Amino acid sequence: MRDAIVIGSGLAGLTTALRLARGGMSVSLLSKGPGGLQLSQGTIDILGYAPDRVTRPLDALGDFAAGHPGHPYGLLGADTVRDAAGFLAELLPDLLVGDPEVNLQLPTAVGAVRPTALAQESMAAGDLKDGASYVIVGLRRLKDFQADLIAGNLDRAEVPAGGAVSARAVTIDVPVRDERDTTGLTYARALDDPSVRATFAKAVAKEVRAGEIVGLPGILGLDDHEAWRDVQQIVDHPVFEIPLPPPGVPGLRLYRTLSAIARDEGVRFITGSKVIDKRVEGDRVVSVSIDSAGRAREYAARHFVFAPGGFESGALAVDSYGAISETTFGLPLTESSAEKLIHGDYWGSEQQLFEVGVRVDESMRVLDADSAPVHSNFYAAGGLLAGAMRWSEKSGDGIAAASAVRAADTILREGN
Amino acid sequence: MNIMNALKRDTAPDAGERLGNQLARATLDHCVKCTICETSCPVSAVTPLFSGPKFVGPQGERFRDGESVDHSVDYCSSCGTCTLVCPQGVNVAELNSLARAKMKQEHGVPVRDQLISRTTLMGTAMTPVAPVANAVLGFKPARVVMEKVVGVHRDAPMPTARTQTLQGWLKKRTPPTTPRTRGPIVFFHGCAGGYFEVETSKKSIEVLEHLGYEVLVPKQGCCGLAQQSNGLFESAKKSVRTLVDQLRGAGKDLTIISSSGSCTGMLKHEAHEILGVEDEELKDVAAHVREFSEFLLDLYDEGEFPVDELRPLKMTVPYHAPCQLKSQGMGTPAADLLRLIPGLTVVDSNATCCGIAGTYGLKKEKYEIAQAVGKPLFDMVKATNKELAVCDTETCRWQIQKSTGVPTVHPAELLHRAFGLS
Repeated sequence: MRDAIVIGSGLAGLTTALRLARGGMSVSLLSKGPGGLQLSQGTIDILGYAPDRVTRPLDALGDFAAGHPGHPYGLLGADTVRDAAGFLAELLPDLLVGDPEVNLQLPTAVGAVRPTALAQESMAAGDLKDGASYVIVGLRRLKDFQADLIAGNLDRAEVPAGGAVSARAVTIDVPVRDERDTTGLTYARALDDPSVRATFAKAVAKEVRAGEIVGLPGILGLDDHEAWRDVQQIVDHPVFEIPLPPPGVPGLRLYRTLSAIARDEGVRFITGSKVIDKRVEGDRVVSVSIDSAGRAREYAARHFVFAPGGFESGALAVDSYGAISETTFGLPLTESSAEKLIHGDYWGSEQQLFEVGVRVDESMRVLDADSAPVHSNFYAAGGLLAGAMRWSEKSGDGIAAASAVRAADTILREGN
Repeated sequence: MNIMNALKRDTAPDAGERLGNQLARATLDHCVKCTICETSCPVSAVTPLFSGPKFVGPQGERFRDGESVDHSVDYCSSCGTCTLVCPQGVNVAELNSLARAKMKQEHGVPVRDQLISRTTLMGTAMTPVAPVANAVLGFKPARVVMEKVVGVHRDAPMPTARTQTLQGWLKKRTPPTTPRTRGPIVFFHGCAGGYFEVETSKKSIEVLEHLGYEVLVPKQGCCGLAQQSNGLFESAKKSVRTLVDQLRGAGKDLTIISSSGSCTGMLKHEAHEILGVEDEELKDVAAHVREFSEFLLDLYDEGEFPVDELRPLKMTVPYHAPCQLKSQGMGTPAADLLRLIPGLTVVDSNATCCGIAGTYGLKKEKYEIAQAVGKPLFDMVKATNKELAVCDTETCRWQIQKSTGVPTVHPAELLHRAFGLS
């Protein structure tokens, strides 16, 4: 029997598994697929808008939670979020930089300016500063990165701390494969090769003018985390990556690195099968079963952390009658009908449906309608937790990491 | 056996119909175009000839109005990784296997593909003349002719013929004397395990007997997996149905153990999901079959595996989990099991695929792709231990061994040693 089973391999699941494994526990991680990290920007958001743009997320967190009863940050608090950000930075020393106290303001693939707390070092030079001038370099075969659009929007953007920047665009052609459309991932794999990235960097260098900071698509190497440094050295100007729509290379870097560390720490990965059931004895879950090839397989453990994501992953769903459900175990949710929670004005006010999820106590135990734990050893973390409007708050990563740390630390304290 | 008879035209007459109904509509609408399968596909990572599982699968399928529209699906190796990683439950690999079978139905299956998918035929032909067969397959000019005439790449890995089959060994060996404390189980050796990988089968049987099981080995044929990957669905169905009867014939409700990682997957899910076999008998076997390390790791988790008896093996070995083993959705039990051996350091390859994918990497037009797919694995194996590598499936072992020069064994070999049996 394992000490703990974690369900889900997104940021919440991996952080929980790693925290437990580092605490000396034997952990199995069950997941249907590789989780949402590789669909992300590869950064760690804590709080970006509340609803105005946030510059100091941990300072803002207390007031924000007080104004949003039922928000996960109310249970977690700034200290746990700080602790979780520190844990991730410690796990990924060659990837993540930044100070969770202060947001970076980074250009996106449409030239908007996005607040985030921790970013990859290869993105940091993009932190918008008054008076800076940028050249955005696109690739003719990479359709997900339109340099004109990005530069045009940055050029008219207001720097969050005040002031303005100037930006221009160039597009070059650096083929890495004999095809017209090359994905960002194909580019990233090619740029893991030092000779290919030298060719790429020299082509970029030719386009850069004195004093410019160089914005490049987020494709500077997949497994070689130092690839961007090589490019910067050859270009001889500060360079920064802008993450693209999926497949997102910076997100893939986080996923691949965190899973590799977890494997090294002895976490058993059981990927590809959906969890279908749990077996309960008294107030405890004793095992969960998965729909593996040929038959259901049962996995017993002392503690269970459920981190399957929210609506985006299919962990929460609304059927054609408007009934909202948690699709794996049918856990109690904050709302059961979507009818009054969705309105037809797509660009209008927030759709409250996205705040629906499971309720938890301070140790992340899942609660029923009477606020009693559903089971004494059953926790939830990440996108499943009720109360947050993650996409507009830019709070999803902070909630995921902090709830993972809280659940794991509770389990470690309780022991076996 | 009349070879021409065996090679008579066989395709997948109902593949098109099944594509349109059962699988396609049931799962393809769940595709949210997240590209997770694209990031995990080992083939599209190395060649533009295959445009990727999402493009030829859920996307291409919408344009297949009764006929094939995208011939790049032939470059899919059927490794199954796309289905394994899909978080939305889309049967990407199954869609692509059916689409390829449908395409082959329209265009015919090359004789080469018909030949290389019949391991039992190769085994029965080669065993009586093993030294000659090995000499011919190791003789470069003969391989050049074979490449030109048949289309099997001159450098592709070939099995080594043995002078004795597993059944031959079973008949002649001294019966085991270990006490039968744990009851009977059935051993499924697969055709490669019967003719070529005889040592793996012997050692698996001896480990199971050492643990106290009575190991029953019924006469058995091929599971049909290689025929299935080559679009020969009718032959594959016949093979798997015969095998199901043979395995069930050994006794009712017995656990079936196999040291053939891929063939286990054929029985557990592929025959049902790709070939569309709906028999209750197949479902029964699917529920009772266990991959060798899966079975032993379950024993360990239940506290029934004698860890204390394992003697130290002081070495570091690279371990590669084959894609068709991973696609069974049970993790990588061999890696966890081998770590129970004191002194043994197991380094996971973390590689998606070795490239061979059954018979894919043998074909002259796909050999280079298969080598490129396997390259990160080959580099990792050579860097970890030049003397020994570990992998659960036959053709993957042949591929790793041929491409790296590193002898590659089944996990059972290391357990056999650790239990002091060799």
